[in-house]
Amino acid sequence: MYDIVYCMARTLPADSPSPDKWEVQLRKGSLELAILASLWGGRLYGLEILRRLESGSDLIVSEGTVYPLLSRLKALGLLRSEWVESDGGHPRKYYSLTPFGKHRASEMASFWLRFSASLNKLLAPLGKEK
Amino acid sequence: MTIASQSQQKIDSYLDRLRQGLRGVREEDTRDIVEELRSHIVEKAADGGEMTAARIESVLAQLGSPEELASQFATDNLLARAQSSRAPWTILRGVFRWAKISVSGFLVLIISTVGYMIGGSFFLAALLKPLNPKVGLWKIGPHAYSLALGMTDHRMHGHELLGWFLIPVGLCVGGGTIMLTSHFALWSIRRFREEHRLRQPS
Repeated sequence: MYDIVYCMARTLPADSPSPDKWEVQLRKGSLELAILASLWGGRLYGLEILRRLESGSDLIVSEGTVYPLLSRLKALGLLRSEWVESDGGHPRKYYSLTPFGKHRASEMASFWLRFSASLNKLLAPLGKEK
Repeated sequence: MTIASQSQQKIDSYLDRLRQGLRGVREEDTRDIVEELRSHIVEKAADGGEMTAARIESVLAQLGSPEELASQFATDNLLARAQSSRAPWTILRGVFRWAKISVSGFLVLIISTVGYMIGGSFFLAALLKPLNPKVGLWKIGPHAYSLALGMTDHRMHGHELLGWFLIPVGLCVGGGTIMLTSHFALWSIRRFREEHRLRQPS
């Protein structure tokens, strides 16, 4: 299991990217987008975000990575959080997108869609060979 | 001991270790992080049934070690605070955390520490000059100079270079070096955070 952010923090910029590091970087970059996308429909708390990511995508998600990432996205002004009392009696911390977060998420999503569509065209022959 | 209190103890001890690892992070943020994880552990362990010790074990294992989790929270939190406060002490504390996880952080820590020490010495020399005649910039050999802060006495063999001008020069050089060091450290922090995260809101 990749501990994505921790690996990233230990990776020096000068290192030449090996295939593994490339995969780690790709996963890390897409995890941020996936979290922002999961909140597009409205506020969710940590465990709901984790479940949404697990059921809605093939991303391997480490719980120990998602919570620090949520706190970082909040520090960057992309998310805001609020405590809400649950029916079960314990409070839950809900996250939602700020206007800047919404703007950033849609910017990232449209880039991703354009980028992956053109890359898929280029990759199509490689898939057929297998 | 009942099963419930045993389970509670497991959760508490994990969260205590997390709290220990978050030292330096603002109390308000620490409480927020600890309570969020408590809520996660309790809800996930009780998911669709009774909260058992084994279930708690597995939830805690999935979160990873509390020390590593704390380090992930704390590094970015302290660097973000360094960026907003800009005080040398806060900057050094953030960079110290960063140095624990990467070589580039370690280099920035060494350079910043040396920078602050040089800047601080000049600044201190300027402030101490009126109080102690031993304080000054001394030429003590053909190519040797010493900035004395009052501990050593070069008056017998040395030749004082600046005299009372040490006060304005020390304040300017000291203040300037401290400012340059802060600029360098904040620039490095900004680059590190940008490279590893998303852009700051503009």
